[in-house]
Amino acid sequence: MRNHYSTVILGVLFMLLSVQLIAQGIRISGRVTSAGDGQPLPGVNVLVKGTTNGVSTDANGNYRLTVPDGSASLLLTYIGIVTQEIAIGNRTVINVQMVEAINELSQVVVTGYNTTQRKDITGSIASVSPEKFKNIPVTSFDQALQGQAAGVQVTQSSGTPGGGINVRVRGSTSISASNRPLFVVDGVPVEDGQLTNREFGGQQDNALALFNPSDIESIDVLKDASAKAIYGSRAANGVVLITTKKGRSNQKTTFSADVQRGMIDMVRRPNLLNATELLDLQREAVTNAGQDPDKLGLIKGVTDGINTDWVKATTRRAIYQQYQLSAQGGNEKTQFYLSGNYRDEEGVQLNNEFGRYTGQFKFDHKATSQLSFGTNITLSRAKNKRVKGDNFLDGVYSGAVKSLPYYSPYDEFGRLYGPKDANYAGFPNFNPVGQALLPRFESYTAKLLAGLYAEYEFIPNLRLRSKVSVDYNNVTEDNFEPSTTAIGGFLTSVGGQGYGDFSNSTYTTLINTNTLTYNFQVASKHHINSMLGFEVLQRQERSGNLQGRLFPSDDFTYITSAGIVDQGSSYRVNSGLISTFGEVRYNYDERYLATLTARFDGSSRFGQSKQFGLFPSGSLAWRISAEPFMKRFTFISDLKLRTSFGFTGNERIGNFQFLGTWASNTYSGSTGVGPAALTNPLLQWERTREANVGLDASFFSGRLTLTVDAYSNLTDKLLFAQPIPQTTGFGSVQGNIGKVSNRGAEVTISTVNIDRGGIRWSTDLNLSRNDNKVVELVSSEPIFRGYTGNGVSNTNVILPGQPLGTFWGLKFLGVDPATGDAIYDDKNGDGRITPDDGQVIGNAQPKLFGGFTNRISWKGIELSGFFQFSYGNRILNFTNQTLLNSGADLQSNQSRKALERWRKEGDISSVPKYVYQSTYNNFLSSRFVEDGSYVRLKNVSLGYNLPKQWITRYKLSNVRIYASGTNLWTLTRYSGPDPEVSTLDGSTTAQGIDFFTFPQVKTVVAGLSVNF
Amino acid sequence: MSRFIQYSLLFILLGVSSCREVLQPQPVDLLVDALVLNEPNDVQPVRIGMYSALRGMAAPIIIAGDFTADYIQFNGTFNDYRELGTKQITAANGAVDALWGGLYRTIYVANFMLENLPKVAGVPEATRKQVTAEARFLRGFANFIGAYTYGDIPQVTTTAQSANRTISRTSRATILASVLADYQAALTDLPDVSSGSTNITTNATFLNKVSCQAAMARFYLYQKNWAKAEELATSVINSGVYKLETNYVDIVTRDFTGESILEVGYNLSDDPGTSTFGLNNILVGRREVIPSNQLVLLLTSAEAGTRQQTITFDSKNLRGSDNGWTVRKYGTASEDNNNIVLIRLAEMYLIRAEARAQLGRQTGATGAVADLNVLRTRAKAPAITTTVQADVLLAVERERVYELAFEGHRWYDLVRTGRVQAVMSAFSSNWNSRYELWPIPQREIQQNPALSGQQNPGY
Repeated sequence: MRNHYSTVILGVLFMLLSVQLIAQGIRISGRVTSAGDGQPLPGVNVLVKGTTNGVSTDANGNYRLTVPDGSASLLLTYIGIVTQEIAIGNRTVINVQMVEAINELSQVVVTGYNTTQRKDITGSIASVSPEKFKNIPVTSFDQALQGQAAGVQVTQSSGTPGGGINVRVRGSTSISASNRPLFVVDGVPVEDGQLTNREFGGQQDNALALFNPSDIESIDVLKDASAKAIYGSRAANGVVLITTKKGRSNQKTTFSADVQRGMIDMVRRPNLLNATELLDLQREAVTNAGQDPDKLGLIKGVTDGINTDWVKATTRRAIYQQYQLSAQGGNEKTQFYLSGNYRDEEGVQLNNEFGRYTGQFKFDHKATSQLSFGTNITLSRAKNKRVKGDNFLDGVYSGAVKSLPYYSPYDEFGRLYGPKDANYAGFPNFNPVGQALLPRFESYTAKLLAGLYAEYEFIPNLRLRSKVSVDYNNVTEDNFEPSTTAIGGFLTSVGGQGYGDFSNSTYTTLINTNTLTYNFQVASKHHINSMLGFEVLQRQERSGNLQGRLFPSDDFTYITSAGIVDQGSSYRVNSGLISTFGEVRYNYDERYLATLTARFDGSSRFGQSKQFGLFPSGSLAWRISAEPFMKRFTFISDLKLRTSFGFTGNERIGNFQFLGTWASNTYSGSTGVGPAALTNPLLQWERTREANVGLDASFFSGRLTLTVDAYSNLTDKLLFAQPIPQTTGFGSVQGNIGKVSNRGAEVTISTVNIDRGGIRWSTDLNLSRNDNKVVELVSSEPIFRGYTGNGVSNTNVILPGQPLGTFWGLKFLGVDPATGDAIYDDKNGDGRITPDDGQVIGNAQPKLFGGFTNRISWKGIELSGFFQFSYGNRILNFTNQTLLNSGADLQSNQSRKALERWRKEGDISSVPKYVYQSTYNNFLSSRFVEDGSYVRLKNVSLGYNLPKQWITRYKLSNVRIYASGTNLWTLTRYSGPDPEVSTLDGSTTAQGIDFFTFPQVKTVVAGLSVNF
Repeated sequence: MSRFIQYSLLFILLGVSSCREVLQPQPVDLLVDALVLNEPNDVQPVRIGMYSALRGMAAPIIIAGDFTADYIQFNGTFNDYRELGTKQITAANGAVDALWGGLYRTIYVANFMLENLPKVAGVPEATRKQVTAEARFLRGFANFIGAYTYGDIPQVTTTAQSANRTISRTSRATILASVLADYQAALTDLPDVSSGSTNITTNATFLNKVSCQAAMARFYLYQKNWAKAEELATSVINSGVYKLETNYVDIVTRDFTGESILEVGYNLSDDPGTSTFGLNNILVGRREVIPSNQLVLLLTSAEAGTRQQTITFDSKNLRGSDNGWTVRKYGTASEDNNNIVLIRLAEMYLIRAEARAQLGRQTGATGAVADLNVLRTRAKAPAITTTVQADVLLAVERERVYELAFEGHRWYDLVRTGRVQAVMSAFSSNWNSRYELWPIPQREIQQNPALSGQQNPGY
C-alpha cells in the first residue's frame, strides 16, 4: 500500500514542478474549430512562427499561449489539415477555423481515461462509428460490433431477442475466468453477461441489451497492451469503450424522430420427418432389436394418424418496432443531448418478447474559463417475456423439434394437452405449444447509469477531473408455471400444483475516478501529454428469491396464494478495486511517438499477500510519412509503424475463491456446516503478456486506408479450478496453473472506389485470424467440459496443444457395410470401444473471420450491403444425438438425414443402422461434428434522403426513408438450421455446440427518420 | 497550489481508510476453514455436517444397489440411467462418480472431525466420545459401501490433501478390516438407547449402539460370518427400540416409521427436487427408470402381499416400452416422504433368516422360516412352508426383493451370494461379469497417478 501512494504523491509533485517551465509574456488564447462542422479540434499544434514556443489545443479545441509581442504570427499545423499562418496583431483572443482533409486521422479516439486523435495512437484501437450499424435493427451495441472491427469476434448464441452474445477480442485468454471484454460506458465499467438468475436452457439475457445503440456516439475497442494496460487487471480480454452522444457547441437545437417497423422469421427451419416416415423408421429400429413393433404400440395407420409440424405450431412471424425521439444542441457554455426510445421485438417463438424503454441525457456546462461540470444519465427498463429452450425438455423450440408428430397440441375441444394427458406422449415429451403459452416467465430489468463530473483547469492544460458514477441494475423475475405444464404439474418433486418463483437482484457499481492531466510542449517539437489517475470501485450484488408450490388453482399465480413456500434465499456479495494509473505520451515533431502506461490495481478477489498487481506497457510509433525523404511519395498521405509490449490481467473469477470455506448444510431438520472449498491463499491474477506490431497507412488523400496488426499474447497463471481426485474430499482446488496463447493477424482496408458525379462507392473489409492454443496445463490429462457425452466423458476437452473449445469424442470411421454398425477408432487398441478411446474431434475456433461492406450513394439514395463470415470453425451438432439417434430411444422425432440410414447388407451410408435401445451407434463421435463455416449477408439496406426542396417548406432539415434486411442469405454446409449458434451461452471451453438452440432470425425492416 | 496539495493528501488519506472496506469484504454465506472447529459450540454444526455428508451418498447407494441389477428398465433421457438400465455401464457414468465423491466426502468430514476434535478445548467428555464414535461409524460405513461397490479402494485416514491426491488402492480385505475396527470403536462409545424408546425420529436420525449393531449385522452377513450376523441381528430385534410397522404401506409412503434404524432426512426446504440424483425426480417425476417387467411380476404376486404398494400402475403411462408402473418409495417434500432409509428392522429379520438358513436352521421358533413369516404376516402374504435349506435360501432372496425393493440391496445381495451371473444373464444380454463391480470413476483414474492403469477388470 505504501508504495502505491508514494507513486501518486511523486507524480503530483512532478507535475507541479513542470509548471515552472512556462515562460512569461503576452497571453493569447482561442479556440480552433473545424470549418466543416464547427467541431472543436483538439491536438492542433499552435506555434509562434520561427520559435520553439508552442502548445497543442485541448480536447475542446482551446489553447493558451504566451507570445513575446504582437508582431509574431501563429503557425497552426495538424496532420491531414491545411496548415494556417495567422498574424497576431493586437488581438488576445484568436479563434481559428481549419479545413480538414478527407481522412480519419483527425478522428477523436477515446483511449480510456483520455482522448486522442487517430493519428497520435501508438497502440491498436478499432473504432466503430454508429453510422455502420444505423440500418441494422440491433438490440445491443455488442451485437452491433459483429463483423465491424478486426480482431473482434461476435457470436450471437441464438435468435432469442435480447439474448446472449459472445464478444471476444483477440481470442480467449482464460479457461475459468470470464473471457468477455471489459465494457466501459461513459467511464463506468458496466454489468455484462446475464443478469437473471433462473436458467432457461442455454439462452441467457444480456445486460448490455439495456443500452440503446442509437444513443451511442462512438465505440472504441482497445486491443493491444499499450491501449489496454490503463485498465490493468481487467484488460486482458480487451476493453470496449462506449461514449454516448452529446450536444455540440453553437449548434441550434435539432430534433430527430425515427420509426422502424419490421417482420422477423427464422433463418431456416429444421428438416424433420413426418409421422409416416418416422413410424417406418421406428418400426425398423424395433424389428432390428428383435422385438415386435406392434407390441410397442407402433401400428401403421394408427400411430401415424396425426402428423403435427411442431416447429410450425410453436413459431410465428414476429413483429419488430422501434420509435425514437431525440434533441440535441448547445451554445459556447452549455451543451445537451436528450433522447427517448421504445423498442419492442417479438420472438419468433410464441409468447417470447423483448421490450425496452430507454432515456438518455447528457449535459455539459462550462461555468468559468477554469471550471466545467456535467452529467450523463442513462435510464432503461426492459420487459423480457422468456421461453425455455435448448437442453430443457420443457422448452418451446427444443420441445418442438423433438416432439413426436403422432400427437396434436390441442384436443378435440381446442384445449391444450397437458403432460399427464392419456392422449399425449408422456415424458420426456411435453406439449411445446402449452409450454410456450401457459407459463408466465417475465423478467423486468431496470438500469440507471449516471455520472457527475467536475473539471478544473489550474493553469492552461493542467486539469483535474473528478467523476462519481453509479451503475445500478435491478432485475425482477416473476415466473409462474401452472399445473398444466411440466414443472408446475408433471414434476411433483418441484411443483405438482403450480410452481411460482420470484426473485429480485440488484447489481450496483459505485465508482470514483480522479484524473490529473497535463499537456505541454518542450521546445516546439517535444509534445508531452501526461495523465495520472486514482480510482476506487465498489460493486455490490444483493439478491433474494422465493419459490412457492401447491396453488389452489391455476387462477392464482402469485406466491401469496401458494400453499407451500418452502424455498428461498437471500445474499449479498461485495467486491472492490482500488487503482492508481498513469500514462505519458510523447511525440517528437509528429514523427516519433511513444506511450508509457501503467496501472496498479488492488482487488478484493485475492488473498492479502497477492492483492496488488502492476500492469505496465509501452509503445513506440514512427510516422514514416512525416520524414523528409518521404515527401516525394505524394500519393502516401500517412504511413505509421507502431509496436507495443506490455502486461494485462484478468481478475474475473468470482469472489472468495482464495479462501478455504465451509458452507451451511442440513440434515433432517438440523443445520450444520459442510466443507465448500479448499483454500489457496496464493491465488492471483491471470497475467497476459502482449506484443503487437502494426502499420497504419493512408493513400491518395485518404481514398485507401489500410491497417495491419500482428500480435502474440501469452496468458499465464491461469485461474483454474484444478480437478483433483475426490479421495481428497473435494473435486477441485482453485489455482494459477497453465498457459494459453493467442497469436493472430488483422487487416482492415477501407477504400473509396468511386467519388465523382455525385456517385460515391466505398468498401470496408476486415479480416482476422486468431490462433488460440492451450500451451500448458497442470497435467496432460484431459480436462473435460461441456455436456456429458454418451460413451465418452464429455463433449469438450481442454488439452495442452489444443485450442479452447475443442470437441472430444470417439472418432467415427464410417458405417460397416456388412453390419450397419458404426465403426469407431479403437485408439488404445484394446479391441473394445470405451471412454478411453475418446480423442480430439475438432474445435469451434474459426481460422478466419471478418466483415465486408459496400456502400453506394447517389443523389440521396444509399445502398449498402454487409457480409459477415466465419471460416474453419466446427460445430458440434449435439441436437443430432437426439435427432439422428440410431434408435437409442423412440421418444423423439428424427432428422430427414435418418432416411439415409443403413438398412441392409452392402449399404454404404454415413448413418448407422437403427436399433431400438442400442446406444453403441449413438456414441458421441465425430459423426456429429460439422463444418460451421459460413458467409452471411448480415444486412442489406436501401435508403433515400428526400430532396431538400421537397422538405424545407415543412421546416424539416432531413427526411430519410429506408428498408433493411438482416440475415437474408447464408451460405453454409452446416446441416442444422443455423451455423451461428452456441447453446452454452458465454462459454469458452464449450462454445459452438448446437443443442436444440433456437436459430438466428432474419428481419426485414422499413424505417423513417426525420430531422428538424 | 498548496491548497491543492492539501486536498490531494486528504483525499489520499480517505482512500487509505476506505481501502480495507473495499478490498477485504467478508463473505456472508461461507465460513473460513480456521473458524470451523475451534470451540465447543462448533462441534454440533460440524457433526451435522458429517451426517449431511452421509445423506449425500444415500441416493447413489440406492442407485448402485438397485439400478445396477434387475429391478429397473430405462425410460428417460439421462445417459447415466440409460447405461445402468441397459447394462452398458462405463467409467464415465455420473452415478459412479457421484457415489465415489459422496463416500470420500463423508470420509473427509469424519477424518476432519477425528483430527480436530481432540484439539478443541472445553468439549464435554461425553460429547467428545459420542461424536468421535459417530465419525468412526460414518467412515466405516462409507468404506463398507466403497469396498463392496468398487472392490479395492484407496484407504483415506487423514485430511492431508497432497497425500490423498496420490493415494493408491488398498485390498478389499484390509478396507473391510478397517470397517470392522471403526464399527467396533463406534459401538463402544455410541449412546445407549432404551427399549421402548418413543423418540422415533432421533433413533433413526442419529446413531446409537443398536443402529451400529444393525450395520455390523449387515457387515457380518456380507462376510458370511453367519453366527455373528445372527447374534447382532438378534440383539437389534430384541433391543425393542425399533418395531415393525403394522402396515407395509407406511414404509412406502411415510418418513420416520418405527422400524427405521438409520434414515437420512430431508424436509421441505432442502428437498433434492429435480437434482440429477433426486430419487423422486428420477423415479416419479421424470420416470427415468421404471420397475422392470419381471420385478412388476414379483411384486404383484400373491407372495408379495401388501408390498405390492412399492409400485403403482397408471394406464396413462402405458405406451411404447413403458409398462405403466412407477416406484413409489420416494415421495416429495410435501408428501413428507422424501427421506432415504438406509437400514430398517425388516432387514434384520432377513439377515437373521439368511444366517440361520446358512447354519442349517430352517424350522422352529429360532429358524429361518419363522423370521421370514414375521414379514409375510405383516404383508398379509401366505406363510412359507418349505424347509429345505436351498429352497429357504431362495425364499430369503425373493423375500428381500419383496421387502427391500428400491432400498439399495439387490445388486450387493446377488454379488455376495454368487447368484449374480445366473440372475443377470437371464435379465439382460448385455450383462457381463465385469459388472460385479462398478468401475473406478474415469476422472479418478485420470487425476490420481496412483490409479492410472488400475481400473477394475473389463472396464
